[in-house]
Amino acid sequence: MAEHGGTPAPADEEEEQVWSWGAGTDGQLGTSKLQDEHLPQLLSLTSLPSVSMLACGGAHVIALTSGGKVLTWGRGNSGQLGHGDILDSSLPKPVSFLDDYVVTQASAGWSHSAFVSDSGCLFTCGNGSFGQLGHGDNTSLSTPAKVSYFVDKCVKMVACGMRHSLVLSAGNQVCGFGSGKRGQLGVSSERTKSLVNLPCVVSGLEDVEVVCIAANGDHSAAISASGQMFSWGRGFCGSSDVQTPQCLQSSLSFRELALGWNHALLLTVDGEVFKLGNTLNKQSEKQSLQVDSSEPLLEKVSGFDGVKVLQIAAGAEHSAAVTESGEVQTWGWGEHGQLGLGNTNDQNNPQLVSLGSIDQRTKDTKVYCGSGFTYVVRRYNIHHRNGCIISNV
Amino acid sequence: MSYDDVEIEDMEWNEEIQAYTYPCPCGDLFQITKEDLRLGEEIANCPSCSLYITVIYNMEDFQNDTKKNNQPKSSQAVAVAVA
Repeated sequence: MAEHGGTPAPADEEEEQVWSWGAGTDGQLGTSKLQDEHLPQLLSLTSLPSVSMLACGGAHVIALTSGGKVLTWGRGNSGQLGHGDILDSSLPKPVSFLDDYVVTQASAGWSHSAFVSDSGCLFTCGNGSFGQLGHGDNTSLSTPAKVSYFVDKCVKMVACGMRHSLVLSAGNQVCGFGSGKRGQLGVSSERTKSLVNLPCVVSGLEDVEVVCIAANGDHSAAISASGQMFSWGRGFCGSSDVQTPQCLQSSLSFRELALGWNHALLLTVDGEVFKLGNTLNKQSEKQSLQVDSSEPLLEKVSGFDGVKVLQIAAGAEHSAAVTESGEVQTWGWGEHGQLGLGNTNDQNNPQLVSLGSIDQRTKDTKVYCGSGFTYVVRRYNIHHRNGCIISNV
Repeated sequence: MSYDDVEIEDMEWNEEIQAYTYPCPCGDLFQITKEDLRLGEEIANCPSCSLYITVIYNMEDFQNDTKKNNQPKSSQAVAVAVA
């Protein structure tokens, strides 16, 4: 905000809207109703102040507040909500165990959760039967526990898949643990055949400056500082599984990555969206496109009419994007209303989701996808002046 | 069309619903009971959506329900992997 000498600067405040839609029978929509919603629902979450990020999993949601507090809701039968029980919660509830920490990043897997604190510690809870909690056993935990392997490692980021976890820590190290059956741990040894319940260093990324990691389904991926994309795990579109990180051969430079169960979305530095693999609605294309090809095919997602895309998200079988104009577009599988278009149809191309008006007060919009559901967090600028609230036009 | 082919050893036994389960992309679980497997059924349905998976298993493993071989190898995979 530009400062004008003499007059006191008005206090900027933000107003926030949280919308959810799609599969909702486990309380993951935060609506307090256990039902699917085919249209975006504006939540009245008084217990949810100033969201800095959401992480959406199989049927649960993690919210981080700007102060680093953690709230969770949705399915809790494996302890993934971290509330100390194995109960579902249809409304956001604080994870009190993490009260003494400032949590800066989190990820929600199919039935487990992971949290990174500002001090670089990693905490995990939920289903541990595949070793995906990284504590050296296969037990499940209903309260987050610090992963000892990372105590002196300064964790930067965590990503949780269906049955595995990836961790990026200082010194450029990427580790994986959990199920490695499809190669998703990137560990090039016999150990990939079994479950790994202690963190193992992912092979082949030693000389790569990794800035971002992603996991979903049995897929793993990373983006380097130079904009290259590496992937490992289950092959896309019926191509064979990849045991160690493989660099995608492309002249494009990528800055964001989102994984589904059978597809990957890639956002270029120029704001264009590309994809690998196909969501359910286009599964039948895999035979015709992918015959005898071991290398997955990179395809441009068209339909944004030249408008740049700012952010992307992927559910198990659907996709979402936020454009430069603040619009949210969705496409892919729609059976549970996860596209938010008022029906259960699949969509082959991006479609505009109606989320009320976008005006100049809109500061930013972020979209997040769980397996079969979608969330949008939209912030507005509000000026307080002389006790009145006026819009920041 | 079957969503995926899943080996029985990758499915989890769910005591509560008395069925082998595997995650469905909708958020629910594909399910198949031991009785289904004994009868040679290979489709595991999701109670919440239209999707189903094809279960890869050896029918003989489920023929003698009361014998110890009614547990597929996978049930012990978790314990084996620790070693």
